[in-house]
Amino acid sequence: MSAKTKAAAPGQKTPLAAKIFLALVALYLLIPFATTLIYSLFIEWTDVLPSGFTLRNYAELFGNMTFWASIGRTLVLCLVSVVITIALLLLAMYVVVAVNRRLGRFMQFVCMIPYALQGVILSIGIISLYTGTGTVLSNRMMMLFGAYTILVLPYIYQGIRNALNAIDAQMLIQAAEMLGCGRFRAYVQVVLPNILSGILVSSLLAESIVFGDFVLANNIAGTNYQNIQVFLQANMARSSGLSSAIVVVIFLVVGAVTAAVLKLQQSSARKA
Amino acid sequence: MSYIEFNNVVKRFGDNTVLDHISFGIEKGDLVTLLGPSGCGKSTLLRCLSGLERVTEGTIVLNGRDITNVPASKRNIGMVFQQYSLFPNMTVEQNVAFGLKMQKAPADEIENKVKEAIAMVELTGKEKAYPASLSGGQQQRAALARSIVTEPDVLLLDEPLSAIDAKLRKALQSRIREINQELGLTSIFVTHDQDEAMVMSDVIQLFHNGRIEQAGSPVEVYTRPVSEFAASFIGSYNLLSADEFGRLTGDRVASGNVVAIRPETVGISAERPAGEEAYVLEARVKSSTPRGNVLRYEVVANGIQLRVDTLFRSFHLFDDGAHVFIELPRHACLQIPVGVARAA
Repeated sequence: MSAKTKAAAPGQKTPLAAKIFLALVALYLLIPFATTLIYSLFIEWTDVLPSGFTLRNYAELFGNMTFWASIGRTLVLCLVSVVITIALLLLAMYVVVAVNRRLGRFMQFVCMIPYALQGVILSIGIISLYTGTGTVLSNRMMMLFGAYTILVLPYIYQGIRNALNAIDAQMLIQAAEMLGCGRFRAYVQVVLPNILSGILVSSLLAESIVFGDFVLANNIAGTNYQNIQVFLQANMARSSGLSSAIVVVIFLVVGAVTAAVLKLQQSSARKA
Repeated sequence: MSYIEFNNVVKRFGDNTVLDHISFGIEKGDLVTLLGPSGCGKSTLLRCLSGLERVTEGTIVLNGRDITNVPASKRNIGMVFQQYSLFPNMTVEQNVAFGLKMQKAPADEIENKVKEAIAMVELTGKEKAYPASLSGGQQQRAALARSIVTEPDVLLLDEPLSAIDAKLRKALQSRIREINQELGLTSIFVTHDQDEAMVMSDVIQLFHNGRIEQAGSPVEVYTRPVSEFAASFIGSYNLLSADEFGRLTGDRVASGNVVAIRPETVGISAERPAGEEAYVLEARVKSSTPRGNVLRYEVVANGIQLRVDTLFRSFHLFDDGAHVFIELPRHACLQIPVGVARAA
């Protein structure tokens, strides 16, 4: 507790107690991951220490094409849904910022609705609405793209809105207009580069949500369009070692994406 | 025909009339100040001229062209905002070049003009700096360079110096005035600071409640206020009702009229002055306040309190409670007729 109450002033070194406290918290948070990693690398763990080191689970996993396909599908789902949501929101927020600010409240209301929707309700709603309609939306994969687009809407909206408010986007557009630039061009050339870090951070959050989702993917697509979580569920009964290896890979993939986005964010912040 | 003409311009926000039939002209090359208190409509008129607001009624003509419905980006008007509004992701150089790029100017021309504009606002050496690393004054100078580099027909300045400290503000006031004169650039400056308006303007348009209260040169507006509001807003006029003036001097003016007396026209002395063509009155010093090179006395004569300004000479001070004589030149007692006087 002392580490919490005695915060270091800017420029001061972090006190040792604070370092120890943070290390303990980090250790505690890493316990589930560490145990999963151990389960995936050893045959048995019935004593104090695990025994029978093996890479068999990983060899089996990486040799399984279904696994790679499910990773690929999950990444496609993340990318497509996040990109669609960002594109739609940026267009809508252009209208709010440059044309009619009063629509901002309406946008906020619409974008908050998905918070209230449970995954089960959303998936059942989408299935009952579009199944058998014979349109492109009756395709399970399309349904899944649509569902994730709705799911990530509030997170990305909050990120973009906060970024726009932070730079006073309306004033920047007006300044650009006075220099002979059209409103939409000003939005693209002046406003968007300044909210890029906000977009990246909210995309990262949204991407993690899609990557970790099981309910929507299982209910809407199931094995028709198997994502990594559905693949994990299908393999849990087969082998605990294999399922541990899957979890470790999921963790590392999400970690790698997070690091990449943070790196991008830092470089864009340095430019600004 | 004037270079810029506002013809019966009305602007309403819902039921609120912010500009009430504004009509006046601005000559080419002039620096005109729109002066008035907050909420009087001066910034709204500027924004209507810029195209960032649409007028409800009336027309705006610039150089013979009706621009009332022309989009802001097509008016060739430069604008400097109160909040600087530099593009945060661009360097000073890139900010200044932005307008020229919109005009699709050749690269070498952009380079030369940007260099020239940056030198003009004395920011040479800061070309590669991002706005976040500049002081408020530097940011505002960069914004000024960005607005003049495109050679606009008119330069609008919307309270550009209000967030800048007093010393730097004076330097920038001079620089803006010099640029206006060097380039012959018609400029409209919005401010609520009467000193700023006095220093910078060829013409002052004094705004009050969405209307123009008085227009004229700084000297005209300062020395001949046409209404009680003008007298109270410009300078620190002593404003006396007809009754108060009667009690002070014994002379009568038309009932309801207001008499305005500038503090610096009132003489103060220890000995009774000759007082030709002036009211000479006994008074008591209530307080004195140094205001830079001016010393302001609050004196009471015949039960009426007056402000008296004198040059601050340390060898000639009156203590609080001192018995003095004040001299009010008759020509300095300006009567503001009933019909023109408005509640301030």
